[in-house]
Amino acid sequence: MSSDSVLQNHHQHREGITTLSHDWTMVKAGTLVEKQTLVTIDAETTVEDACEVLLRGGITSAPVYDSAKQVYVGMFDYGDLMTYILLLLKKMEVPLQDQTMEMRDLIQRTNKSQTVPVKLASDLSGKDPFCTVLPETRLGAVVHDFGTGIHRVAVMDAEGTMKGILSQSSTLDYLMRHLSEYPQLQPIMQKSLQQCGLTNGRVLSVNGEEKVLDALISMSTHSVSSLAVLDDQGMLLGNISMTDIKHIMKNLRTSWLWISCFQLVCKIRLSHGVESGEDQYPILDVNSKSTFGYTLSKLQATKAHRMWVVNDSGCAVGVVSLTDVFRVLSGLIDS
Amino acid sequence: MVLDLDRCIESLFKRQLLAESVIKEICERTKELLMNESNVVHINAPVTVVGDIHGQFYDLLEIFKIGGYCPDTNYLFLGDYVDRGLYSVETMSILTCLKLRYPDRVQLVRGNHESRAVTQTYGFYTECMKKYGSPQVWHYFTDLFDYLTLSVVIDNMIFCVHGGLSPSIHTIDQIKVMDRFKEIPHEGPMADLVWSDPDPGREEFAVSPRGAGYTFGSLVVEKFLHENGMDHILRAHQLCMEGFQVLFDDQLSTVWSAPNYCYRCGNLASILEVGVDGERHFNVFEAAPENERPSAAEVQRAAMFANGIPTGLFSGVGSNGAMTSSPAAGNGNGNGASSFLTTAGMDPTQDAIHYFL
Repeated sequence: MSSDSVLQNHHQHREGITTLSHDWTMVKAGTLVEKQTLVTIDAETTVEDACEVLLRGGITSAPVYDSAKQVYVGMFDYGDLMTYILLLLKKMEVPLQDQTMEMRDLIQRTNKSQTVPVKLASDLSGKDPFCTVLPETRLGAVVHDFGTGIHRVAVMDAEGTMKGILSQSSTLDYLMRHLSEYPQLQPIMQKSLQQCGLTNGRVLSVNGEEKVLDALISMSTHSVSSLAVLDDQGMLLGNISMTDIKHIMKNLRTSWLWISCFQLVCKIRLSHGVESGEDQYPILDVNSKSTFGYTLSKLQATKAHRMWVVNDSGCAVGVVSLTDVFRVLSGLIDS
Repeated sequence: MVLDLDRCIESLFKRQLLAESVIKEICERTKELLMNESNVVHINAPVTVVGDIHGQFYDLLEIFKIGGYCPDTNYLFLGDYVDRGLYSVETMSILTCLKLRYPDRVQLVRGNHESRAVTQTYGFYTECMKKYGSPQVWHYFTDLFDYLTLSVVIDNMIFCVHGGLSPSIHTIDQIKVMDRFKEIPHEGPMADLVWSDPDPGREEFAVSPRGAGYTFGSLVVEKFLHENGMDHILRAHQLCMEGFQVLFDDQLSTVWSAPNYCYRCGNLASILEVGVDGERHFNVFEAAPENERPSAAEVQRAAMFANGIPTGLFSGVGSNGAMTSSPAAGNGNGNGASSFLTTAGMDPTQDAIHYFL
């Protein structure tokens, strides 16, 4: 134990004058987005075209830029798209007093069958508001935000130039790739999910036979980004999440809103397998006895945003989302 | 039941389905046969090794044409017989019959698709329901899958498995003592053998992007071959545009036998011929020629399977909401919100299903 601390002291630097950090909380947000090719959407682009931008870029969100006012007005993501679709289909009622001006304008336009510019739909879901950090902001602070449910932050310098988008996924990927450089993270990686307090979550679910549209409404009502898809016995069949809406928008298969959730799970699995040449396991889960580190490796490898936690019989007993992961990690900083 | 296997095989070559009771019988008998096989079956060359087929029946016929028919040619199939293609039932039926008829000339290894969870998602369950009107045949075959061996060793030199290696398995003997007679678990050595992939960019094991199994690198391959006194690993499981792929300085090969995968990938396929002196030759081939390929209507139905709507998983036979008959020669990808693709469109005049017995 003492030799460990000797080794630790020997490698410690004053963070201010070294480029090699051994404290993961001190990494600057700017360095994580250095090599990023930023995709932005013009504020006047229609929602449908904005969706196309996300699909083509293989991304789940993009900042919306108003070239007339020369300012970023918000982010557009699949959550906003989902809210837009539900409003369009009149599956969602927003009381007048809660409607923003943009929302009122959007609803009016959809009622008149007019096209909707994406500036009215950005940040529509009310979740994941446009959140910015400076390139100098330390990862410790960003991780704290991630732990409260913010999925991504825009890294913007003092002049208002957008440097890139730092998401929960890309941050996790960075930490896992550089794990050996941050020995402080080792102890938590060895802990079991139970020890991290991650096996008692409420599992919000939908039966495989329910329609996709009803699942989306349910997600919107409960303010969650995914639901477990279960069979009649409560066994996990798969997962339906807000980003799956991109499959519905691809080729404008709005008809897919009326198929069952299990059918959608199958469709997505089938097309993913052909595109990548490798079929994925139908369910992305971890056993409740797994370690935190193993769970993170699986999240990183599969690029999933959550892992369902199952017991030995295959029943979902909890869920570990990226938000949960960062809540645990930011808990380390506070202790 | 008196079973005329030769007649069964003859009918299957003409793509005639066997009756449900016949399927039940052949599955029962094949299970008895497979029960006595080790988790590691030792065979000798010459043998022709076949990779993923995925229900592409006409391409299986092509394989017999270029590789030779049973029992003249010895065959080793590395799994993934079902799902995605249009004829998983016919493919699995004929392979089961051939195994039963020529048990020492045909080896069937279990792939990751020979599993209940996977076949419900990727098409085999749906196909069984459509062709037999009940899930019975699916049950017979998925119960049979539990008996398929996990690996084969050729001439004590070539280790053959569907997916790849496992961090829990260092020696062949460890595979031999496993209990394989069950559904493939989510995790563990049995899952790893059917789900893992090689990664030429790595040296060690890493969690797989597939959500099961691992990726493994050069050091893992070297160590495994050295510890077990072998010189090559042969596997399938990954689509190869050229039909095959050789990695790690010829210590590992992937063989892929479904050309123009899902009737749209445009890839080549291959079978690997292993000679008595250990020579390995990849016999590359394209999708079956025009006159034996599925018709346009059948390809459209394949697209429906590929965008699968599994019917009857929850409700009973047949109906699953509104069934609309789809246009015969598809006019693109569905028009508007009212018509959604269904698998109700099996046109009896175009797809005569003859029931045997």
